[in-house]
Amino acid sequence: MAASMPFRRELFSLTRIFNGISQSRPRVLGHCAGHKKWLTIGSPLYLSPSFHIPRVFSSTASSITVTEEPDTLFQKVTVMVKGHDRAVLDSYEYFATMAAKELGISIGKVFEPPKDMERLTLLKSVHIFKKHRVQYEMRTHYRCIELSHLTGSTARVYLEYIQRNLPESVAMQVTKTAIEKIPEHIHEPMWKDEPTEEAEKPSQ
Amino acid sequence: MAAHTSKTMLLSLSRLNVVGVGLPNLSSRLTYATAFSTNTAGNKTLPERGGRGTFTKRPRRDAGPPRTDKMAEDQDWTAVYPAAAPFRAGTVPLPVRMGYPVKGGVPPEKKGNLELIKIPNFLHLTPVAIRKHCEALKPFCSAWPSALDTDAKCERHFPIRVESRDYVSAGLSLRNPAARVVHLRVKVSSLNLDDHARKKMLKLVGERYCKDTDVLTITTDSCPLRQQNYDYAMYLLTVLYHESWKSEAWEAEKTVADMEEYLWDGSPSEKNILDTLSRKADGGEEERRRLLGRNEVQDYKRSVSRLKNQGDSESAMLQYKEAVKRVLKI
Repeated sequence: MAASMPFRRELFSLTRIFNGISQSRPRVLGHCAGHKKWLTIGSPLYLSPSFHIPRVFSSTASSITVTEEPDTLFQKVTVMVKGHDRAVLDSYEYFATMAAKELGISIGKVFEPPKDMERLTLLKSVHIFKKHRVQYEMRTHYRCIELSHLTGSTARVYLEYIQRNLPESVAMQVTKTAIEKIPEHIHEPMWKDEPTEEAEKPSQ
Repeated sequence: MAAHTSKTMLLSLSRLNVVGVGLPNLSSRLTYATAFSTNTAGNKTLPERGGRGTFTKRPRRDAGPPRTDKMAEDQDWTAVYPAAAPFRAGTVPLPVRMGYPVKGGVPPEKKGNLELIKIPNFLHLTPVAIRKHCEALKPFCSAWPSALDTDAKCERHFPIRVESRDYVSAGLSLRNPAARVVHLRVKVSSLNLDDHARKKMLKLVGERYCKDTDVLTITTDSCPLRQQNYDYAMYLLTVLYHESWKSEAWEAEKTVADMEEYLWDGSPSEKNILDTLSRKADGGEEERRRLLGRNEVQDYKRSVSRLKNQGDSESAMLQYKEAVKRVLKI
C-alpha cells in the first residue's frame, strides 16, 4: 500500500502492535504520566527503515518517548476517499468514524459528495460500422470525513492506522490538513531593535 | 483416526498462518510437512495429464470438514482474521450468498464463489478488532489543549493557517507531485502593521488578499518539496511585512489616483461645501474651520465618504439627501 513518507517512524511499532493483538499478549509500556500540552510523542525503536517487517514473536514492548518540542496543531483534517464501489466506501467510513471515536477525535461532518461518471463512446466493431457504437462509463464515488482539533501526534497515528487499512484498489485517499502556527519574527519590524542598521535589508 | 484429523487440522491452521493457536512448536514442525505422512487411506490420485510421462502428481488429499464446524460462537475473531486476508469460505462461519441469481433461484453459495473473493472484505476490522487496535494506539496520541476549545481562541493565539495535502493511491510510485503545494493564510488584522504599512502590504500582494474576509493567502508550489515551499511561504510573509514598514522616497509622490479609498479631507467636495456655506456668511480661514466643526458638515462628510467608498445603494443615497438638506437648511 502506498503510504506517505512521514509515517515511517512509527511504522515498526504499529505492526508490532497488530502482531501483539493477534497474539493477545499484554503490552508493557513505558508511559509518561504527566503529559504537557504540546509534546511530541514518538517511538524510540527506530531500527533500520525497511518495509518488510519480520514476524516477531517476542514480547518486547515499544516504549513511548515524550519530547520537549511543541506538537503541531491541526484545526481541521479532511479525509476524502474515492472508489468505484459504494459498499466498500460505506464499510470504510464506518471503520474510520469508529476509529476516530475510539481515539477521542472530534468528528465534524461525514458526507458523500456526488459521484463522478466518466463516459466513453467507442466503435463496436474493429472495422467500419460507424453507426454501431458501445458506451462505457466509470463511476467514482466519494466519501468525505472532516475531523477537527487534532494534534500532530494524534493525526499521525490516526492517519497511519487509516491508511494501512485502506482496502485494495477501490479507494484512494486525499487528505487535506490545515495547521496553525504563530508568527515568530513578525511581531515587530527587525530594525526597531537596531536603529543603526536601518539602511540594511532585513534578513530572514 | 484422531491423530489423523488433528494433524490435518493443524496443517490447515498453519497454512492459514493463524498466530494465536498456542501450539508454536507443532506449527513450526508441520509447516513444511508433506501429505504423504498423513494420508494413508481415502485419497484419490489425480488423473495423469498427458505429456509428463510417468510423473505422478502428489495424491490429492481430501479437504475434510470446513473449519467453521469447529468454531465456537464466542471465539476470538481477531485471531481468525488478524490482518487483511481474502475471503475463505471454510473460515467464515456466515451463510453468505453473492452473485447474480439463477433464474427462479438464489444467488450462489459461498463455497467456491469468486465474487466473494474479489471484493475487499473488512473481516479483519470488526468493531472488537478496531477497539483493540485503538486501545493499543491510544498511548501514542496526545490531547488537544483544552484552552483552545473555540475557533476564536485559536484565531487569536495562532493566526497563521498552513494548508497542505497528502495523497495515497495504489500505483507504480508513492509520490504525487501535487503534494508539494502549500497554502499559507493569515488575517492581515492580526499582523502588527500601522496604517501606511497595511496599505502598502495590500498593494504589494494584490490579488492574494480577500477584502471580505481580510485573509491574505500565499500559495507556493515552485519548490519540489513541501518543506521547501513552506519555508518559502514564511520567507515571503516576512519580506512582505518588513517591506511594508519601510517608506521609500518615491512614496511621497502618491497622488489622489493612487489612493485606495476616498478621503474627504482636502477633496473638491469639501471645498465646494465650504464655499457654498461661506458665501452665505463672510469668508475667512477661521470661518471655514468653524464651519467644519459643525455637525451637519460632519454628517455631509460621512455620507459623501460612504457613497464613494462603499458604492451606491438605497440607504446611502437617502443618507446623502438628508445630510444635504440639513447642511443647506432646506
